Amino acid sequence: MNRLTQMSLRTKLVLLYSILLIASVALVSYHSYWALWQLLVESKASHLRARAKPIIEHWLETHHLTQTDSIAPNFTAGAAFELARDLTSRETVAQILDRSGNILASGKRLPEEPTPPPININYLQQAFSGANEINYFTQIRDKTMLVFLIPLRPQPHQQQIFAVIQMSTLLSDITKILFQHASRQLMAAFFILIAGILFGYWLIGFSLKELKHLSTTCQKIAKGNFVRIDDIQNRDDEIGHLAQSFNVMVERLEKLFEAQKRFVANAAHELLTPLTGLRGSLEVLLRGAQDDPQAVNRLSKGMYKQVNHLIRLCEQLLGLSRLENTIHLKKQPIVLMDFINELPEKARHLLQNHHLNIQSGPAVNINADPDLLEQIFLNLLSNAARHAPAETPITISWRLLPKAVEIHVSDQGPGMDAQTLTRAFEPFFQGKSPSGFTEKGSGLGLTLTKAMVQAHGGSIHIKSILGQGTTIIFTLPF
Amino acid sequence: MQPKAHILIIEDDPVISEFLQTGLRYEGYQVLFSHSGHEGLILAKNQSVDLIILDITLPDVDGFEICRKIREVGLSMPILMLTVKKEVADRVKGLDSGADDYLTKPFSFDELLARIRALLRRSGHASENKLLSYAGITLNVETREVQIEGTPIELTPTEFSLLELFLRHPRRVFTREILLNRALGYDYDGGTNIIDVHISHLRNKLGKSRSKLIKTVYGVGYSFNPENAS
Repeated sequence: MNRLTQMSLRTKLVLLYSILLIASVALVSYHSYWALWQLLVESKASHLRARAKPIIEHWLETHHLTQTDSIAPNFTAGAAFELARDLTSRETVAQILDRSGNILASGKRLPEEPTPPPININYLQQAFSGANEINYFTQIRDKTMLVFLIPLRPQPHQQQIFAVIQMSTLLSDITKILFQHASRQLMAAFFILIAGILFGYWLIGFSLKELKHLSTTCQKIAKGNFVRIDDIQNRDDEIGHLAQSFNVMVERLEKLFEAQKRFVANAAHELLTPLTGLRGSLEVLLRGAQDDPQAVNRLSKGMYKQVNHLIRLCEQLLGLSRLENTIHLKKQPIVLMDFINELPEKARHLLQNHHLNIQSGPAVNINADPDLLEQIFLNLLSNAARHAPAETPITISWRLLPKAVEIHVSDQGPGMDAQTLTRAFEPFFQGKSPSGFTEKGSGLGLTLTKAMVQAHGGSIHIKSILGQGTTIIFTLPF
Repeated sequence: MQPKAHILIIEDDPVISEFLQTGLRYEGYQVLFSHSGHEGLILAKNQSVDLIILDITLPDVDGFEICRKIREVGLSMPILMLTVKKEVADRVKGLDSGADDYLTKPFSFDELLARIRALLRRSGHASENKLLSYAGITLNVETREVQIEGTPIELTPTEFSLLELFLRHPRRVFTREILLNRALGYDYDGGTNIIDVHISHLRNKLGKSRSKLIKTVYGVGYSFNPENAS
């Protein structure tokens, strides 16, 4: 078994193919051998019967045995012997038998003529009761003999049977023909097998060549080289289909890989900018500005902001990787209305310049992780507060869908253009702020929010018209 | 001494902009700044600017575009680009659009300063001379050679840094801490007394008559006073 699993696919297929080929050739040979045997035997039997018929008729005529009442005086041992002798040849021996199996006459005179087989009384009885076509085989020493019985009637249509001729013939000529046939067939089978196995080996190898190609391509991909299989993907067989699916898979993999690379590059970029500020500020302080209290104050405040920005960025990166790797939500039942009514207090520091307007929807309980849910709301509120002009309202409302609750967070900010809208959830993407200089976010807020909503089995999208505010819509399943 | 160059900083990150301004002002440059590309472009056209420090990623227009527009109106002051991307294509694009040099973030302020000086020198700005000379002392910042009345003297790298600092900022009082940072690096952990040792060596090498140029400011540090030459 172990050896079988270690064989190459090609060897296994060739082995299986050869076994099937041998089995089918053997079956066909066996079948044709028997069919030929039967054909030869039957033709021999009918040939001998046909040859016997005129001899018997002539004999009946000459010995006046055609009348029922003339049989007893005319059917003598001499007449019986004459018939047996006429029907005997080098291959065939005839015997005349009576009802109880006694041999009335035997045609064998010469030593080269075959020895008659013992009488089968069973068949004999059947022949006497009127069966005309009894043929059977019997084995004498190593030779097979065909035996057939011909009932003797005065006229063919009459019921009366006064004797039965048993003709036994050697099948040596048939055996010879069959032997020749079998040896020729064996030769042919041998050639078919050799040719078949060679052809099969080639054909299987040809088919498997593409698989081999596929496997080398896989190895290349494992090394990070995203190559496609171009030459066989147009084939309309299983290998072609495999190549197509394979190419689709490689494409996805490459995109994923690229996204991952872009993410890391963007993350490094986002980390490097605040670090440049930090390092530069420190350098300027150390190289002399530390003697100026005002410069110290300005630069330290800048550094403090940068460090906070870096910490927030790292926290969000960590949050994102936690959500992407293993999701360990601590879900518990939450009364949505109560939860939302607590938001103004929790988001007080974010909403110093805005009014949070809660439009209560239907009472509903959801199953969610309260920390993450709070994060989702705080992220969206902080976004809204950052972009919408001071003193404009930010509205939270919700409604029921068949299997989820849909929550809307709207602001009256500047809105998003089409490009910003399509890229809003991309990591590190930051829309261009029309007001020019505002405090930068990390560019991860919406990415993280989306990941948190999706971790709850919900979905999120944005509706926004430039100049008319933005609404973030997300669903949470019950 | 010639008036120092006017430098325009176009950079949207408030902290980077802040340290560039403070650091360059400390070095004696006149500094203008803008947080957006459009405003920066207007400043570049209307004010007399000797050099521009230009960030590539700006909220309104990208740095390459600003650079091209500045060159289109016929302004030829050197432009130093700040980029985060290390890609060669970006550098080529920057230089193609008319920038003279680029720096990759995060950069060190000292390197930025060196680039600014080199760019100003190349553009023939009078204040940036490779030779700093006072009271018979001549210091070549490129070859790092010091001569007194034409006679070369040998200085250690620390002594050279101290002398260069003094010659660049005559009459400015430097605390021992600052001198330590500038001469021995920001990550030097030892006490400030070592500075007194280096100053004493430097005074000896300058000769008796010129040793008074480096004045001890009691309780604070040292300053370089060209008027003290006897």
